[in-house]
Amino acid sequence: MTLAERLEIYLTRHFGAPTAIEGLSRIPGGASRETYRFDAIVGGEVRPLILRRDPTGSLIDTDRSLEYLAFQSFHGRAPVPEPIVLDTEGAELERPFFIMTRVDGGAAASPFTVQPYHEHAQAIGEAFFAALGAIAATDPAGLPLATATQAPAPGDCWRVALDHWAKVIDTDEQHPQPIVRAAIRRLRRAPPPAATAVRVVHGDYRTGNFLHDGQGKILAILDWEMVHLGDPLEDLAWAIDPLWGHYDEGRVAGMIPRAEALAIWTKASGLPVDPEALAWWELFSAVKGQAIWTSAAREYRQGGFKDPILAISGWYTARRHDQILADKLMRLEGLS
Amino acid sequence: MTPSLPDILVGNFLCIADPPPPESAGEFMAGKVGVVALLSLLAAQEAERGLSARVWENAALRAVLAEAASTYGAVFAEAGEETDTDFTLSALDRANAALRRSLIALHEAVEAAGDTARDHAILRLYGKMADARRLDMPPLPGR
Repeated sequence: MTLAERLEIYLTRHFGAPTAIEGLSRIPGGASRETYRFDAIVGGEVRPLILRRDPTGSLIDTDRSLEYLAFQSFHGRAPVPEPIVLDTEGAELERPFFIMTRVDGGAAASPFTVQPYHEHAQAIGEAFFAALGAIAATDPAGLPLATATQAPAPGDCWRVALDHWAKVIDTDEQHPQPIVRAAIRRLRRAPPPAATAVRVVHGDYRTGNFLHDGQGKILAILDWEMVHLGDPLEDLAWAIDPLWGHYDEGRVAGMIPRAEALAIWTKASGLPVDPEALAWWELFSAVKGQAIWTSAAREYRQGGFKDPILAISGWYTARRHDQILADKLMRLEGLS
Repeated sequence: MTPSLPDILVGNFLCIADPPPPESAGEFMAGKVGVVALLSLLAAQEAERGLSARVWENAALRAVLAEAASTYGAVFAEAGEETDTDFTLSALDRANAALRRSLIALHEAVEAAGDTARDHAILRLYGKMADARRLDMPPLPGR
């Protein structure tokens, strides 16, 4: 039975009406879930949808329930697709999955390209950092996400985050990595101030994880698979990590100057940006990245070398983050 | 380092050798082939520079370990006294793994001792190590 046929059986039961599937096609988006676009024809009505299914191996081991709850939490508050159904058992589709509405007419930039936003970089940058600020402004109490996530104490946000990703490196490392080890030790020696607020952290808010219309408008913020509660500076620091800069040293995320991005975020979030705290989270971002790429390298090997996304993540991006880490460590000591 | 150059090149074959299911034959497969092409391009750089980067790094780590031994213990001299005689990537990586473990231990000891001069020398070495291993992405136009 094909995937389309299985999906028809599942959605016929879910919608309580005969459902046909048309145009089922896997798309490259999302490295931690298999992502498919399709039309569901339900009672003659065409419903454009996206299927996100757990892979057999992935870049990041994440909880699809939290990702689904994040869509539920922010649909209507931010440009986020409407979630339709989550099945943690997998049913006819064999592996856990969820389905959400499809946003057509948008594109996601590859982080490995130069100037992907062209003359709309300024407008995209303003919208990008304002949307992140709006997420950080949202009180998590009362959100569907709050039912399934633990809020760390403000003073513990850094430790929870660092412990998590340091453990990932401990578990998945196949070759010793002295640079990231030095960064982890430095982060522990000099922790940041307590978070000014504990908020929803998207976890992977960056260029490439949103759809834009090519005219300066953000259509959908995607890839919430690493969502959690924590210090909102974690997201801000990740968004401006040099890895996501499209090789543009004058602008963050290949969009707008750093100072402008921080000012937009501050205005939208209502939260201050403590330079000392942000510097800590920026070094942390490179550690987190290196942890993700370390897992990718392990998954690439364990999966029989068949996923080239895991290859480029575990190889090219890992080496770029080593460069970024080394540069940050030297800058913090006034050596460059 | 992982994945190794042979991992990448074997993987480039394996990931397109199997025919995809019908729903993965279009846009997804096109994207996959694009990434395989990019990996091949980066692999050319690794083929050109990877061996010399490993030989250089192993020698640099041995020098740092040997120099620190008088202050931090003979164990670091012992870690650095081998020389590379097998110049395959896998043999150089095995030696490199042992040397990097010793470097991590040395750096921890240096930090604990508050030895700023040696700490800074190691940080500068990290910069050179990362630069020697770099892979240069060509300027791909955004769409």
